Amino acid sequence: MVSPQSLLFILIGASIALILPFLVRPGIAVSREGKILAFAAFFILPVLAASIGASEHFERSKQTRFCLSCHIMAPWGKSLYVDDLSHLPAAHFQNHRIPVDVACYTCHSDYAMYGTLSTKLEGLHHVYVNYFGTPMNPIRLYHPYDNAACLHCHLGARSFESDPLHVAIMADLKGNKLSCLSSGCHDKAHDVAALDQQKFWTPTD
Amino acid sequence: MERPVRIAAVMLILALIVEGLSLCWNTAASFLSFMIFGGIPFVGGVLIYVYSVFSGQPASRSTKLRP
Repeated sequence: MVSPQSLLFILIGASIALILPFLVRPGIAVSREGKILAFAAFFILPVLAASIGASEHFERSKQTRFCLSCHIMAPWGKSLYVDDLSHLPAAHFQNHRIPVDVACYTCHSDYAMYGTLSTKLEGLHHVYVNYFGTPMNPIRLYHPYDNAACLHCHLGARSFESDPLHVAIMADLKGNKLSCLSSGCHDKAHDVAALDQQKFWTPTD
Repeated sequence: MERPVRIAAVMLILALIVEGLSLCWNTAASFLSFMIFGGIPFVGGVLIYVYSVFSGQPASRSTKLRP
């Protein structure tokens, strides 16, 4: 079966093949048939190819590999392999509690209405700052970490809801009055400053 | 008519080639290439084509050719 990406490449190729005759003999755009063909070659097919291409790029931007393609993110990627499961991101990543190919997106996306859009816009801002601006040093989140990202999966889970401590502070957790990452709770998240003191897990393929 | 069509053709072919190449990698740089080096010639090419259609030259020329 032909993959969606192969179909996109075929569409791009077909668009170029239709445009080429107009590059060699632009006069063919004068006749009625030529105008119809030109409309397909210069508008319909390229717009379709660009729309599907943009959609594909945005879909790919969710991938862990995409986030870690910027060198500045390398320590955060490395922290996913810390051989200490008290480190929250490492425990989630290594035990596949989150999809490993979209690990960053799963924990750092906004699950509210229009959340995907706001997450994408923030991602675009990350790319802009990385290439054209001055990234923060050290990198930190724009906003305090939202418990909603944790509760999106953990709320309703037996292990989470049967914990007496979680039950006691549930209202504060839901209201973001008390962070899941508070000191003494799940406070080891991407401790990149101490990476050189850590051992690392190597996955076996 | 001929010059705008040629310019639009070159810009759109360039944009489509950039799009194709950018899809070969999954990095922030390829995404940025798609947006900038693909997006600018794409928008330019489509706008030039639309301008050539609405500038009226092709319509008047084809009318004259009719018997």
